Amino acid sequence: MNTRPSLFSLTFSLPLLIWQLAFFLFPLAFLVALSFWTVRNFQMQPDFDTVNWVKIYSRSVFWDAYFRTLLLASASAVLISLTAFPASYAISFKLGENAKRWMIFVLIIPFFTSYLVRVYSLQVFLSDAGILNAFLGYLGLGPYSMLNNSFGTLTGYATLCLPLVILLQVFSLNFVNRDLVEAAHNMRCGRLRTVLEVIIPSAKAGLVIAGLFAFILSFGDFVSPLYLGGGNPPTLSIMITDITKSGQQWPRAAVVALTMIATLLTVAFAAIKFAYREAGK
Amino acid sequence: MLDTPIVHFDNVVKKFGSFTAVEKADFQIARGEFLAIMGSSGCGKTTTLRMLAGLEDPTEGNILLDGKKINGKPTWERDTPMVWQSLALFPFLTVQENVEFSLKMRKVPKGERRERARKWLDRLGILEFADRNISQLSGGQRQRVALARSLVTEPKILLLDEPLSALDAHLKVRMQSVLSGLQKDLGITFVYVTHSMSEAFSMADRVVIMSRGKIEQIGTPEEIYREPRNRFVAGFLGSSNVFDGRLKSSGNEVWQIETEHSSFNLKAPSEVQKTDGSPVAFAVSSENMSLATIGTPWAGNSIEATVVGGEFAGASATVFLETDQGQELKVQKGHDELKTVDIRAGQKLLVHWLPEHCHVLPGE
Repeated sequence: MNTRPSLFSLTFSLPLLIWQLAFFLFPLAFLVALSFWTVRNFQMQPDFDTVNWVKIYSRSVFWDAYFRTLLLASASAVLISLTAFPASYAISFKLGENAKRWMIFVLIIPFFTSYLVRVYSLQVFLSDAGILNAFLGYLGLGPYSMLNNSFGTLTGYATLCLPLVILLQVFSLNFVNRDLVEAAHNMRCGRLRTVLEVIIPSAKAGLVIAGLFAFILSFGDFVSPLYLGGGNPPTLSIMITDITKSGQQWPRAAVVALTMIATLLTVAFAAIKFAYREAGK
Repeated sequence: MLDTPIVHFDNVVKKFGSFTAVEKADFQIARGEFLAIMGSSGCGKTTTLRMLAGLEDPTEGNILLDGKKINGKPTWERDTPMVWQSLALFPFLTVQENVEFSLKMRKVPKGERRERARKWLDRLGILEFADRNISQLSGGQRQRVALARSLVTEPKILLLDEPLSALDAHLKVRMQSVLSGLQKDLGITFVYVTHSMSEAFSMADRVVIMSRGKIEQIGTPEEIYREPRNRFVAGFLGSSNVFDGRLKSSGNEVWQIETEHSSFNLKAPSEVQKTDGSPVAFAVSSENMSLATIGTPWAGNSIEATVVGGEFAGASATVFLETDQGQELKVQKGHDELKTVDIRAGQKLLVHWLPEHCHVLPGE
């Protein structure tokens, strides 16, 4: 086989390649280099010193933030996937073609307004004297603290990810061969069991990738943990801003950022490998 | 119990909105019978099968399985396993797990499940692929997995929806013999939906021919081939020429039919009663028609027609002709027999056949 790329394919793939080199690979390499620089008198200077790596990795504050961020992002991926699935299933399997198109349109609408605006308006709902607590108080419940804690952060993550996760799940469920569902019913597999035994395994790749998106978006998000989670204790993205603000420590922020990138790459790789794993030899 | 038919369609109607997919289906399927339901796409054959499987509900009428009414029973409460046209094998399970699936749903213990699945894989000659993924199998092997998966519960009836349509010609013939062999060995009822006459006629004990939701004829392949009931069946079999006319005189031996061409003689049918002057349609199989040069003396029925074209591939040749009245005729003959006549397009020839080769269509 001829493996040399043709001029045609090069014409279309070169811009992407150049873009990736200029705006991803080069900055990444620069970030790696930066993490070995040193700061003297609030001035960065090129160097090759592992001091930043040692300093960051030896602090328990960093590791606390790391595992908190990992836990929050994982919880976000799992909870949002679980919340999304019944809706996605209903849209894909129970609605007519017309209603399905409307629902997809409705799910795109949240992306029309800025995420930041949506998060600010959530404060009105979640604060101690907010709309939700007022309503619950009317029922004789609460008040509950829903802001400046993990609940607030996760609610923010859901605002960010839920519509996207439902859309991705709907598209993958739409590709499930309906014959498989009927065949399962025909072999005595009831409705709920068919969802678990046939529909979820059939759509596995898409469902895992939808969850992966929720993880990636939540893991790197700065807005929700700060404005709804209160920012203290910090997540990794909040920690990066804190570090840069205090004494121009860009090299140490680079260490945190590189750790985040490595984590995302590992998780994404593992998730995709799991998503496309086939049965049998 | 044994003398009751395994399946009884009692005046079953299926409508989708205002569209009638199946119109008053009324027939029975005997125990151990291989029944083929045949027709072109959209004729209602698959809907009929799906109603039996419990995947569609009849709008009117009853379906009885083993003498018991099964309308409204969901498919998972019936024992009517089906083989899909797409096979519907689970790509996320191995071959073995696919075959075990319905046993697992029936809560058969793991060890027994495994053993029974392996027995069927072995019987169908695919045991060596037990741990493979479905995507690694060939079309014929997948076919066998689908059969094993449906037969593993040892049902009394198996429904098949065009299972061979995706296979190439050689494999198709091989799977046909696998299927009819299995059906004979197991002695269970097969209901086989197909659009292919060769599949239906080579395997089935009886064939149901459907068109636009209606059953046109039910009978053994031989009955249908020799005695098509109406114009549709005669046309569907693809080798009959149909003539319309009026009964001029009905003797004991010979009927004389007046048509727009001329009058034809045919052997009086024993099972059809008609009064003189009533309309009659009859079919003549294209193999029973011969060609001769104009002017050749001939004692039987004959008609003049112009050659339109021909197909000369294969063991026999098919010549297409048209009469002066515009009726199309088709004549199928061995190459040797056609040597004596000139069959260029535009040539006028004498088409002739014997009275005993005319078959009166009783349904017209």
